Amino acid sequence: MSEMVSLRDVSRVYNQGRPNEVRPVEAVSLDIGVGEIAVLKGPSGSGKTTLLALIGCMVRPTSGRILISGRDVAKLPERFLTGVRRDTFGFVFQHLHLIPGISVLENVMLPLYPLGISFSAAKRRAVVLIEQLDLAHRRRFTVETLSGGERQRVAIARALINAPQAILADEPTAHLDGDLSGELMRIFADLRGQGKTVVIATHDPLVYDNPLIDRVMTMRDGRILGGDDE
Amino acid sequence: MDAQPFARHLKILEFALSSMLRRRVKNAGLIVVFSAVVFLLSSIVFLTGAFRTEALATLQASPQLLVQRTMAGRHALIPLDYSEVIAQLPGVGTVTPRYWGYYYDIYTGANYTLLGITDDGLEAPGSAPLRLVEGAFIAPGQRNVCLIGAGVARMRGARVGSIVSLRNTRGWMSEYEVVGLFKSASQLLTNDLILLPEADLKALFAMPDDQATDLMIEVYNPLEVDNISRKILERLPDTRPISHAEILRTYETLFNWRGGLLLAMFLGAVAAFMILAWDKATGLSADERREIGILKAIGWETSDILELKFWEGAVLALVAFLAGVTAGYAHVFYLGAGLLAPILQGWSTLFPAIDLAPRIEPYGLAVLLLFTVAPYIVATIVPAWKAAITDPDRVMRSA
Repeated sequence: MSEMVSLRDVSRVYNQGRPNEVRPVEAVSLDIGVGEIAVLKGPSGSGKTTLLALIGCMVRPTSGRILISGRDVAKLPERFLTGVRRDTFGFVFQHLHLIPGISVLENVMLPLYPLGISFSAAKRRAVVLIEQLDLAHRRRFTVETLSGGERQRVAIARALINAPQAILADEPTAHLDGDLSGELMRIFADLRGQGKTVVIATHDPLVYDNPLIDRVMTMRDGRILGGDDE
Repeated sequence: MDAQPFARHLKILEFALSSMLRRRVKNAGLIVVFSAVVFLLSSIVFLTGAFRTEALATLQASPQLLVQRTMAGRHALIPLDYSEVIAQLPGVGTVTPRYWGYYYDIYTGANYTLLGITDDGLEAPGSAPLRLVEGAFIAPGQRNVCLIGAGVARMRGARVGSIVSLRNTRGWMSEYEVVGLFKSASQLLTNDLILLPEADLKALFAMPDDQATDLMIEVYNPLEVDNISRKILERLPDTRPISHAEILRTYETLFNWRGGLLLAMFLGAVAAFMILAWDKATGLSADERREIGILKAIGWETSDILELKFWEGAVLALVAFLAGVTAGYAHVFYLGAGLLAPILQGWSTLFPAIDLAPRIEPYGLAVLLLFTVAPYIVATIVPAWKAAITDPDRVMRSA
C-alpha cells in the first residue's frame, strides 16, 4: 500500500520560549496508506486535533516533515498549501463549523465557490452528495434548523464536494447517538471502498473498536504511544 | 471541471451579499452612520458648489471694471464728472453710471437690493441672466412701476399687478406697481432685487442729480483692465476700481473659506466615523474570524477571502455613499439646505431664501468618494487579510 500521509519527527509548539509554552504534538512519526481508515485515539488534550490539523495542512509544524503523497508540504508557501489542502483533504470538524443562516445546499457548495465552477455544475454535484447522505428533503433548510445527525451529514457532504483523496474527521460521533455513529462508520467504509483515505481523531470506543477500522494509534501528551493497537 | 472565469467572482459576490444579510443589524447600523456622515459632507459640497455657480452666473452680467468712490474707507456716491476723466483714458469705451442701493424692509425684516434702470437699459430685456417669468419689462418713460425677484415676491406676497410700497428718505411711502417677475439662471442675482425706473430710484433715495452709486467701465482689451485700474487710481485717488477677476477671486475665497469652515466643523463627525470604521474593521467579530478560518480550511485562498471582504466593504460603503449623497442632494436642492445654509450664507444680505439650481459637483463627489469609501474598504480588508494569512486551525480556535 502506498503512503497517503507520512509524518517524520513532527512537532508543533505554541508560544515557544515563553512561560505559557505548549507542545500539543511532540516528535510524531507515522504513515497512513491510501484507502486506509486510521484512528487517532486518546483522551482530551492528548494532541489528536492538532495532529489532524497538521496532517490536513491547516497548521504548519514547528519542526519535522509532512509528506502528502510523497511531497514535503511543511514549508510550502501559503497559497500552495491552500491548493494542497483543497485538492487533497476534506474536513469534518469537531464542532462541524457549518455556516449558519445559509441553506444545506449552499453550505455543501461553499468549497466550490472560488473554483469558478458553473452554478449548475456545482449544484449537480452537491445534490448528488446530499441525496447520497439522505438529506434531499432538507437541502433548502438553513443548517441551524437541522438535528445533530443531519448537520453531521451536511459537514460530511461539504468535506466530499471537492472529491478529496482523504477525509479528516475530528470527533465525528460527538453529536451522534449509537445508531447514527454506526451509520457514519458505514459511510466512511464506503469512502474507503472508493479508494479514499479516512483519518479519524476520537475518544469514542464505538469508533476505535469498530471492526471497519484498519488501524488505531493511541496518543498521549502529544506523542504516539508504542506501535499500532491493531 | 468546467471552470468559468466570471462564475468565481459572481459566487464570491453572492456569498458576500448573503453574509451581509446574515449580519443585517450590524450592517444596517453601519450604513446609517456612514450615510449620515456622507450626507453632511455631500451637503457641504453641493451647497458650496451651488453658491459658487450662482455667483459665477451673477458675474457674467457684471461689468469688466467697476469704479466706486470711497470716503473714510466706505463706499460713497461718485460724482458723475469722474466719468469724463475715466472716459478720456486710452482703451476705455463707454462709462455708464449705475444707481442702486439697499433697502431694509422693517415689515418683513428683509434686505432688498434696489437697482435703477434707464430707458437705454431696457432696450435689451432678453439679455441673460435677467429674464422674466411673468409680466413685462418696464416700458421707456414709464414711472412708479417695478420688476421684482422671486424672494421679494415671496416676502411681500406680491405678483404682477400688486403694489409694492417703499418708504422714501422723507418717511413717506412711495408705491410701485409690479409689472414683472424675474426668472433667472441666477437667483443670487435677482432673488432680492427690485428694479425701478432710474428716476424713481433717485427720488426714493433722494440721490443728487450729479452723483451715481458707481460707474461701469467698458474696457476694449480685457488684458488692459489692471493697467486702466492703476491709471484711474492715479487720477482719482479717492476711488476704488474693482475688476471682474477680483470679484471672482473674492467669491471663490469666500465660498472656499466657508465650505472649509463647515468641513472643519464636521471634522469631528468624520473622525468619529473613521474610528468606528477602523474599530469595526480591525475588531473582526468572533463569528467573522471563525468564518474566515472555515473558508480557509475548506479550500478558499487568501485572495478569495480578500475578494469576499472587498465586496462586503464596497457594497456597504457604496450603498451608504449613494444614500448619503442622495439625501444631501435632496437636502440642498429641494429642502433649502435648512441645516447648513445659515452657516454657509453667514451674514449675507440675501435674507429672502433662494432656491439653488440643482447641480452635481463631480470633482467634489469624487474626492468625497475617495475619502470615505476607500478608507472604509481598506479598513475592512486589512484585518480580514491578517486573519486569512493565519493558520485556519488557529483562527477557528481563537474565535
